[in-house]
Amino acid sequence: MFIFEKRLEFPVVIKNRNPKLASYILSQYGGPDGELAASLRYLSQRFAQTDKRAVALLTDIGTEELSHLEMIGSIVSQLTTGEGARSFDRYGVGDYYIDHANAVYPANAAGVPFTAAYIQSKGDPIADLTEDLAAEQKARATYDNILRMCDDPDVTCAIRFLREREVVHFQRFGEMLDILQAKIK
Amino acid sequence: MVGNISPQCAKLMQQLAAADFFATDMKLYLDTHPDDAKALEIYREAVKQAEAYKRAFEESCYPLCAKNAGEGCSWNWLNGLWI
Repeated sequence: MFIFEKRLEFPVVIKNRNPKLASYILSQYGGPDGELAASLRYLSQRFAQTDKRAVALLTDIGTEELSHLEMIGSIVSQLTTGEGARSFDRYGVGDYYIDHANAVYPANAAGVPFTAAYIQSKGDPIADLTEDLAAEQKARATYDNILRMCDDPDVTCAIRFLREREVVHFQRFGEMLDILQAKIK
Repeated sequence: MVGNISPQCAKLMQQLAAADFFATDMKLYLDTHPDDAKALEIYREAVKQAEAYKRAFEESCYPLCAKNAGEGCSWNWLNGLWI
């Protein structure tokens, strides 16, 4: 079960508003390599793992991804707090405002809604862990792209934290895959 | 952002986040290294530290967990930063 704690894994306090930057970062909320996809992927795959270490790892990383989803939501929300229709339009994201105003909606940077087709849950421990390794690298690459677009230090430090977590998760999934492959041999 | 936080609470929050993050990271390491006795010791210590910071924060700022809310005859669960 899950218990909510009223805080972020990494505190986020953003002073400046920037709806355009928010629309880019939104991709890590509901995009193909975002945190919603990551958490659903791991928290679904965990049911088909047979090694307790793998079940624990998918549960714990999946749970951490939910905390990252929450952080991304907070960043997007803070970047758009108090901004009106005209501001969204000036920043070139008036189309997002028309459908969602100041809300956070799970979509990618181009506005395409989230779909479970972004993830797989194959019922094969090796196949799933191999997908997870790729997923972590794709998320890391997306954070690199966001960092290239971002010059707000309040946002950058949170994005860097999230990027580093992808690297650590990749490392742990790699160890787990090695453990399972050694068992097969 | 909904609500405000004092500089003192912000500092406590930073300390709590750092301590609890250390425990989170050690937890993932232990999932793939369950027989590492040294890591286990570090993990137990990290959890103790994080719990101490959590208690300190909740005593001087606001409840982080609903189970610790409602003392003092008010629904103080609503207090603090939500997003």
